[in-house]
Amino acid sequence: MNNDSLRIRSLRLFENSPVAGPLLTMIAIYILFLVITPNFATWRTLSGIVTAVSISGIVTIGVTLLMISGEFDLSLAPMIAMSGYLFGSVSVGADSLITNTLASWGLPVAVGQGNVTLAILLGVGIPTLMGLVNGLILIWTNVPSFIVTLGTRQIYRGLVWIVAGAELLQVLDEPIVYEVFNGRFDLLNDFVKTWLIGEDSRDRVNFRMATVWLFGLVALYQILLVRTSFGNHLFAIGGNEGAARAQGVRSTRARVYAFMISGFLAGFAGIVQFSQFKSVRVAEQTGIELTAIAGAVVGGALLNGGYGSVWGALVGVLLISVLRSGVILMNFTLIPADNFPAVVGVTIIASVIFNNWLRNRSTS
Amino acid sequence: MEQVAEKIGNDLFKDEQVIVDMQNVTKRFGTVEALRGVDFQVRKGEVRALMGDNGAGKSTLIKVLTGVHTPTSGKIIFDGEEVQINAPADARALGIETCYQDLALIPLMSIWRNFFLGRELVTNIGPIKWLQRQEMAKQCQESLLDIGIHIRSAEEKVGKMSGGERQSIAIGRAIHFGAKLLILDEPTSALSVKETNKVLDYIRAAKERGLPVIFITHNVNHIYQVSDSYTIIRQGQSVGTYMKGELTQQDIADLITGAREK
Repeated sequence: MNNDSLRIRSLRLFENSPVAGPLLTMIAIYILFLVITPNFATWRTLSGIVTAVSISGIVTIGVTLLMISGEFDLSLAPMIAMSGYLFGSVSVGADSLITNTLASWGLPVAVGQGNVTLAILLGVGIPTLMGLVNGLILIWTNVPSFIVTLGTRQIYRGLVWIVAGAELLQVLDEPIVYEVFNGRFDLLNDFVKTWLIGEDSRDRVNFRMATVWLFGLVALYQILLVRTSFGNHLFAIGGNEGAARAQGVRSTRARVYAFMISGFLAGFAGIVQFSQFKSVRVAEQTGIELTAIAGAVVGGALLNGGYGSVWGALVGVLLISVLRSGVILMNFTLIPADNFPAVVGVTIIASVIFNNWLRNRSTS
Repeated sequence: MEQVAEKIGNDLFKDEQVIVDMQNVTKRFGTVEALRGVDFQVRKGEVRALMGDNGAGKSTLIKVLTGVHTPTSGKIIFDGEEVQINAPADARALGIETCYQDLALIPLMSIWRNFFLGRELVTNIGPIKWLQRQEMAKQCQESLLDIGIHIRSAEEKVGKMSGGERQSIAIGRAIHFGAKLLILDEPTSALSVKETNKVLDYIRAAKERGLPVIFITHNVNHIYQVSDSYTIIRQGQSVGTYMKGELTQQDIADLITGAREK
């Protein structure tokens, strides 16, 4: 078994890993654009591609875990908005319904007196609870999660509307916590500028801290997925629930946890989003759920469960981002930036055909 | 008095050689009587074929034994103790391993992940259950080799294996985890002749290790070579249990269809 040639072993790795196909596709497309697209080969483009996926990338992690277990969550955008309002208001003590209500409950926050710890706790805690509610409705009613979250999506949007007082929240202060979650990543930017492109170049590199969080979370959840029994059970439930239960897997519990993780990550994305733009609106990130599903699918996850990876999902969202930058810079007459979704559509279908072909090779 | 008598009766008939003894088991679904007082006894170390036509009640009987259905009346004695089996988990805790046709394995997962599913070897790090991946892959490969199945790598996906090899994982799993009784539901129904022979070999291997096997089928040819005895079920009742050699294949076929009474 250990005497196999390198070629056969790498071929097997390629077949057995859901990330291999999407990764190769992304590298090929990136190189293609490097060659044919003017202005593509800049640090500005590269950092732009990476920065563009920070928020969608973080929620795609949770969506991927859910999809592997055979579930969907269409209620992420209101969770992001909820997190943005809570985190934004409480971090600086904005004069808002949230701050005033929490203060009247005796919590340590007041107008003009922000509380960063409380802001972070609420920002990830409330969406985690919203995920818990999704999970509980699912296991108690047995209504498909697509429908459950289609419903809670509207309910949660209504909750956000109430909590927000139907207003846009915008803050002017810049507490250090915003820098931590999504400031400029100047350590890397300065390094690139000094050593790779030169101080006097016109190329502007702009990596942000959100990318560090994104890669960290991807690594963490990928490990959770493949190295723990929880991850093992998610695959089993999505692959063949009857078999999983027959082997004693507690499928309802694992599902509820997955929905809580998805909510937690949406909350995290809300914090990152607010840290960058210092504003949030009720309809924040509407439609991000489908972007996340697209990323997961392009990255090799199966729509009906049992297969996929967090690495792959990251590659999936990055691949779409590479395409976006490339197509925009190519400046095609019929595909300006506004018409980019058409390209995403083609990508999704093409990727799924390719990924299916790869997966069938590994299982039959 | 009655209770005492029953207890003495139990002790008298307590047979060290019997692994499972189902007594006068009935099962009603609404007005349908799926089982009408079946007695079914399997001895340690034997391979028992449970035969009957579609709808005869053999699946219902097995589902009562594995906790999928609870019996309407009747008694189950397992390994000398009277037991209540209310859920599949109860059956499993007793050491009854079942391999259903389509509920056995997860094709998109690797062999070792299937082998240890629900019983993973883990290191607890706080609330995190960290999988001992190499150890599981190694034990899985060794266990399968032990019953004569050579796999290239435990990392291969189950979906890549043939139907017979898939059955082997379920059988290997039962032996590895020290099951006291293995139930195979139609293990050969969708297999080629060659694959069927392999599965029959695995069943022999299980028997050699002292693991009793109940083998459900309606195919006379497949089981004739490997079973020690046959129980035939027809219309929710046991037609009878016969030792190997007592019946010809034609007799069995006639008893299954009711072309001949006992």
